[in-house]
Amino acid sequence: MDPVAITGLGCISPLGVDPERHWNALRQGFSAIGPLIGQDPDALKVQVAAQIAEFEPGAHFPSTQLGLLDRHSQFALVAARQAVADADLDDGTLSRMAAVVGTGCGGKETDEITYQRLYREGKSRVHPFTIPRGMPSAASSQVTMDLGIQGPAFTVASACASSNHAIAQAVLMIRAGLVDVALAGGTDAPFTHGLLKSWEALRVLAPDTCRPFSADRKGLVLGEGAGMVVLESLDHARRRGAKIHALISGVGMSADAGHITDPSVDGAARAMTAALNDAGCAPDQIDYINAHGTGTLHNDITETQAIHQVFGDHAKRLKVSSTKSMHGHALGAAGALELIATVRALQSGILPPTANFTNPGEGCDLDYIPNQAIEVPCQRALSNSFAFGGLNAVLVVEKPPVS
Amino acid sequence: MKQEIEQTLKESIARQKMLSVDDIHLDDSLESLGITSLDSISLVFDIEDKYGIEVPNEELKQLRTVRDIVEGVERLLADRN
Repeated sequence: MDPVAITGLGCISPLGVDPERHWNALRQGFSAIGPLIGQDPDALKVQVAAQIAEFEPGAHFPSTQLGLLDRHSQFALVAARQAVADADLDDGTLSRMAAVVGTGCGGKETDEITYQRLYREGKSRVHPFTIPRGMPSAASSQVTMDLGIQGPAFTVASACASSNHAIAQAVLMIRAGLVDVALAGGTDAPFTHGLLKSWEALRVLAPDTCRPFSADRKGLVLGEGAGMVVLESLDHARRRGAKIHALISGVGMSADAGHITDPSVDGAARAMTAALNDAGCAPDQIDYINAHGTGTLHNDITETQAIHQVFGDHAKRLKVSSTKSMHGHALGAAGALELIATVRALQSGILPPTANFTNPGEGCDLDYIPNQAIEVPCQRALSNSFAFGGLNAVLVVEKPPVS
Repeated sequence: MKQEIEQTLKESIARQKMLSVDDIHLDDSLESLGITSLDSISLVFDIEDKYGIEVPNEELKQLRTVRDIVEGVERLLADRN
């Protein structure tokens, strides 16, 4: 199918408040994981997190606007403005384009403040902005209002694969001729007491740090942030002389139809195979995989097995890394933060490492680029997202043709 | 006490897996009862809630049989007292 051009990048992550800072940290193998801040340490078992420390909402939004913005919408707007500025879109294009925003959690901060007032403080009234701030589609609405986007716009929710599903929807809309240009990505702000307690109860959070594919990995570390890209039909991008960062040449989606939390080899493999077929490329044309790589016992071994199943003999030649070891698991924003890492890797010929790596775990036998970035020119890469609940979405990303 | 813990656990398993309490035996493996990792997290949560204890993640991973859970809870209760 027709490839779609990526002409704008924007992000805010624990590693940095724009794509350049995000990428500079990644290629240096710097991990943003540290002590959890802003929470009562005595009330929680989880003590580590990847958080955005240097974010001052007032520097980005006037108070009239800020009152309507849950933290996850704030992140989405910061990333969306960057991506649109990077793509250098004019007002006419903005008015016609689409926006698809993924989120795993939506407006938890707003919801939990409301519940605290009602159930804990015994108040009888809640803030009138509770619904518009907290609704799962809030970030999509805010992005369209802030940027004047008037085409199709909606939210996609598929837990940890939300970004990749959102980007896939935008790609499909462009291919279908519904729009020429779309903004797509994901956002999440999961550091609220109730949500942290809920993640704790699932017993998948690491007490120390995130060590994907390592023998002593103990689970995932939560992150936060947003990533957005501007996608554009190749024709449209060329006509207006836009700079093309990379192409999305294939998308693949699947459902495990298995277990609500345990991942499946077959489900992940089917999503990767579907993406390769969609891109019309053979497994041995892929050089690098930005893995889902959460650092949980189950994910990392399952993903490794799925890569073997899809790539056969080529698996041992692949370079594979999990950048979640550095920016944490930003849930609905994860795929977009990882797509930006993948685009920069293709552009620079530098592959970001898997940080905090010690010794390979049992059954984890691929080249995970331990701890130090490597210089390997690559033409084509996969970016994997496999959500709790078995909803999978994979992107094939490649260097633009030299023209 | 042990019998009470055993009964509580069997009732939880019976409810969750739609089995009869009589079909659940101390030395049954959790796997043979169709208990997944998520099921065991939720079973242990019921017991933690009832007895006011906390089963550490490391111990949870070691549980193989119904007896492992009963004896583990007993140990945690003894440690607490």
